[in-house]
Amino acid sequence: MNTDKGKIIATGGIIGLFGALLVKFGNPVNMGVCVACFFRDIAGGLGLHRASVVQYLRPEISGFILGAFGMAKVKGEFKPRGGSSPLLRFILGFFLMIGALVFLGCPLRMILRLANGDLNAITGIIGYTAGIWVGIQFLKRGFTLGKSTTNSTAAGYTMPIFAVAILLLLVAAPTFIFFSESGPGSMAAPVTLALGAGLLIGALLQRTRLCTAGGFRDAMLIKDYHYMIGLIGIFVFALLGNVIFNFETFKIGFEGQPIAHNDHLWNFLGMSLAGITAVLLGGCPLRQTILAGEGDGDATITIIGLMAGAAFAHNFGLAASPAGVTTNGKVAVIIGIIVALAIGLSVIASVAKEKAARLKKREGGVEVGI
Amino acid sequence: MNNYYCVMTFHSTYHALNFEKILKEFNYEVRLMPVPRQVSSSCGTAAEFQCEKKADILKICLDNHIEMDDIHRIENQKKNNWFVKLLNDKG
Repeated sequence: MNTDKGKIIATGGIIGLFGALLVKFGNPVNMGVCVACFFRDIAGGLGLHRASVVQYLRPEISGFILGAFGMAKVKGEFKPRGGSSPLLRFILGFFLMIGALVFLGCPLRMILRLANGDLNAITGIIGYTAGIWVGIQFLKRGFTLGKSTTNSTAAGYTMPIFAVAILLLLVAAPTFIFFSESGPGSMAAPVTLALGAGLLIGALLQRTRLCTAGGFRDAMLIKDYHYMIGLIGIFVFALLGNVIFNFETFKIGFEGQPIAHNDHLWNFLGMSLAGITAVLLGGCPLRQTILAGEGDGDATITIIGLMAGAAFAHNFGLAASPAGVTTNGKVAVIIGIIVALAIGLSVIASVAKEKAARLKKREGGVEVGI
Repeated sequence: MNNYYCVMTFHSTYHALNFEKILKEFNYEVRLMPVPRQVSSSCGTAAEFQCEKKADILKICLDNHIEMDDIHRIENQKKNNWFVKLLNDKG
């Protein structure tokens, strides 16, 4: 049991340290590793949105996917699968991204922000916890997106091939790919370092299955603290890393934090939306990325939803900025919460109906037997 | 302590919670946990119980319409990969 604890803390620690190191070597502050931001940058780089300050093909993402893919292959855990409510996953992924971009970061960046003194992350964590609690209420009442089934090999390779394509486009830099000339999108660690860190983190996460949503969910739902310990590992080592490598940007407070705003209500609600959707999806954006690398087509659909959400978030002016949250963004978060709740209630109703029908059939079967 | 244990997996968290609730009513020791990696790499909840009680538990599940996925026996392997070695050397 202790070796398990050691592994999960070490995994969290490595993520936390790279979170600090990648900032040292060029990534935007508190964005050493951020899954939502990086998919948003990739969506921008591909021209799906035209926010000129957040366009870059982040090699870390390719690293996560290929690291998980390689490790899953070596360990015989690469299993092409899918078919578990793909459309609902797309929608939940879409709104998860909206929530994250109103808060300005995925749950992982939330931890990294706190580790650099950004107290707005505390509001985010409270919101995320509240969202996960709401999601758990659905799980307790029978919510499920259904069982996935084995898919063809081609489906399983979709995300790994996408990851390679992103790397090739990054290196070849054809004219139709957008690269920010200013803003966060222009700030990046060297490609080899970013890719290497991504590969290592992807491989480790494939082995340990660390998940930010899972950490909070299991702590609340089944009083299991395995993943939560890993999240604390991320926080502690990112804090140490920031104090050692990025001391000049380390600042405790709510005001003037990098790529953040201090609109508490919308930090709370943005992360609440991320929390509900992540629990209903069964994993945060980081975990979805790793699953997609393992051949999980449902996670792949979720990621396509995340990227579509990011594209709409910037095209429609939903994403927040250090200047604050836009009215459009507020409306989108409210719509997202309503949609997530509606999906939750609707699935519970369907599951209950199906169960009643099954029981009735079973009783009917006895009669036929007579 | 046994160096193996059994886990039941489920199609949904709801079934896992139901399993725990009903078996506790029958005074069986059950512990919910994340699905062990040896079983599956998906994110989910499983229930740990004593393998010796498997037959009784299965009967209770059938009587109470608890929906199950599968039962797995997990061996606590002697761990000696490089990563654990590294941690042990340091510790």
